[in-house]
Amino acid sequence: MNTIIQNILVFTAMAFAISFLVKKFFWKKSKAKKACGGDDGCGCH
Amino acid sequence: MSKQINVALIGNPNTGKTSVFNALTGLNQKVGNYPGITVEKKEGICKLPRGVKAHIIDLPGTYSLNASSLDENVVIELLLNKNDKDFPDIAVVVSDVENLKRNLLLFTQIKDLEIPTLLVINMSDRMLYKGISLDIAYLEEHLQTKIALISTRKNEGIDHLKNLISNFKDMSVVPCLSASEIDQDYFDSLRKAFPNQLLYKLWLVITQDVNFGKTDRNQIEAVANFKTKSKGDLKRLQQKETIKRYQFINNVLKKGQTIDVSQAKDLRSKLDRILTHKVWGYAIFFVVLLTIFQAIYDWSSVPMDFIDTVFASLSEWAKNMLPGGAFTNLLAEGIIPGLGGIVIFIPQIAFLFLFIAVLEESGYMSRVVFLMDRVMRRFGLSGKSVVPLISGTACAIPAIMATRNIESWKERLITILVTPFTTCSARLPVYLIIISLVIPEGRFLGLGYQALTLMLLYLIGFGTAVVSAYILNKILKIKSKTFFVVEMPNYKLPMFKNVALTVIEKTKSFIFGAGKIILAISIVLWFLASYGPGDKFDNAEAIVKSEYRTQHLSKEELQQKIASHKLEHSFIGITGRAIEPAIRPLGYDWKIGIALISSFAAREVFVGTLATIYSVGSDEEETIKNRMAGEVNHILGGPLFTFASGISLLLFYAFAMQCMSTLAIVKRETNSWKWPVLQLVIMTVFAYIVALIAFQFLK
Repeated sequence: MNTIIQNILVFTAMAFAISFLVKKFFWKKSKAKKACGGDDGCGCH
Repeated sequence: MSKQINVALIGNPNTGKTSVFNALTGLNQKVGNYPGITVEKKEGICKLPRGVKAHIIDLPGTYSLNASSLDENVVIELLLNKNDKDFPDIAVVVSDVENLKRNLLLFTQIKDLEIPTLLVINMSDRMLYKGISLDIAYLEEHLQTKIALISTRKNEGIDHLKNLISNFKDMSVVPCLSASEIDQDYFDSLRKAFPNQLLYKLWLVITQDVNFGKTDRNQIEAVANFKTKSKGDLKRLQQKETIKRYQFINNVLKKGQTIDVSQAKDLRSKLDRILTHKVWGYAIFFVVLLTIFQAIYDWSSVPMDFIDTVFASLSEWAKNMLPGGAFTNLLAEGIIPGLGGIVIFIPQIAFLFLFIAVLEESGYMSRVVFLMDRVMRRFGLSGKSVVPLISGTACAIPAIMATRNIESWKERLITILVTPFTTCSARLPVYLIIISLVIPEGRFLGLGYQALTLMLLYLIGFGTAVVSAYILNKILKIKSKTFFVVEMPNYKLPMFKNVALTVIEKTKSFIFGAGKIILAISIVLWFLASYGPGDKFDNAEAIVKSEYRTQHLSKEELQQKIASHKLEHSFIGITGRAIEPAIRPLGYDWKIGIALISSFAAREVFVGTLATIYSVGSDEEETIKNRMAGEVNHILGGPLFTFASGISLLLFYAFAMQCMSTLAIVKRETNSWKWPVLQLVIMTVFAYIVALIAFQFLK
């Protein structure tokens, strides 16, 4: 029982670690909204 | 629910704008003296009287609304766009009491955008030393604003400033200068063409080159009944505007400000003469550097030894006290040693940033920028390139972003390409562990060999950056002009709060930024080192027992052999063996090869990786350094970390582009994959060749 729980914990930790690294280095972040975003007639659109 | 207002903090560089931000919000924010340090927008919340909350935005330092660099554009973009969620309800212009005239140029421009604009006059504690007196009531009346005379250093006037911000609705929005005064006919036609628009706003859109692009000006120019002017004419009108503004400012200051030079007690010029002297200036800078590196070693040795021992004991405790199994092994051999490999460097990193913060805060760093400009010019760089190169000692990422205030694209590109050579804090753990393993502890003229080696590595990094810049300047055929303007702030005693915040912030970002990656990589590495494919891994015990049947090994020796066999045939062992032929000529084994690959995520992962790999299968309570020192080179025999292999590794890390995040930021800043790919290939090949020569020569 102890072995199964320990293995589950190891594989869970591994899954978290890999998903964190993938998210950190390979996930494409959505572009931030441009500061000048709207048309108030400022002439910059 | 309490109300929240938007407050934009705007000001010239070196006016103490960021100190005002710190005083208002209490948020961690680096405060520096050299120009262009605030590249990114910083935000914070401040509680004002009567339950009002202020969302404060610390905008990049700018001298005027005529932007000449990318970071200055941020200010104009925000002030011209009412639809922006951060558009300020009130603009707080921070000025410095000693440069009020120049600071007021920006103030009058912002006020003419008809935004409630409050003037903060900072560094009031300097008035006595400089013989300055101000008639605040007169200035308020003629500038049609409210003024907060404050000293962030002495924490004076902050409550008054908060009160004034909360009363922003009572402030006048009457402009200082009527736009028509610049050119009556031109602005009349502009008014006719755009009757509902604010004239000064239109004028800024027409005259700004970078922010709003040609399309926007084209939209204005496309209006049939408006005839725009040529670029040359527009420039002349801009100059006329500046002259008009200074005439207005001079008139106001004539009565509002008195400067009695005879009352001034000026030590600054005397110090400047020495610190920027063409011989003594460099000599003093060199001594300052020597002192810093010696102190980093001497002061941090005790806490480092303590941390190392604590983590070794913690690992041992986890192994003995927790129920045996895979997860306990992961904790004891993967996570704890991996984290120990990063925590151990906290003292040295904290001391490094302590010194850098003190140099910035005192005003000395700006003198270094000025001093180094003489050198940089010869290598095709601007003095402004020194800022990223010095910031690069912390991290190449913000340093590369700091190049945005370099106007010339060629100089900016060269600075971006060479900055990764500067020794960043991520290299520090690698250098420190290798130096402690291969450089003896002796002293020369009172200076430790180890400290001297570290300093030499910093100089090599900086020197390579400068030489590469020279080569790139010759190779790159990009035409551009530039000029160098640096402001020398006053010398001052560093503010404890600002220094402490810098040290805490930098150390925190090192631990939590790199720490998360290291933790994740430690888990993955432990997994790859503890599992493997095929019979050779699964039947390791039987294979080793039959192999050593005739030899009478003790139980510990046998366990060690089994662990070693398993590691060799684990996933990581197989990968390491595959790349070993390529790195063997450099004096590295496959374990170092794994550390080289994993440290591509972040250089400091190198130490954590080795700590994890060497921990797997080790039952003894040992520190990271001892485990590394005990490693044997299975090809050449003898210790793995010798003087030759150590120097080879140090040089490899000094030159290689071992940082994924830096490549990503170079791609973002150059808007092309061409430059980061070139950077990666050239730096790696160069690092390999230098490391190869070093090992072959020294072995």
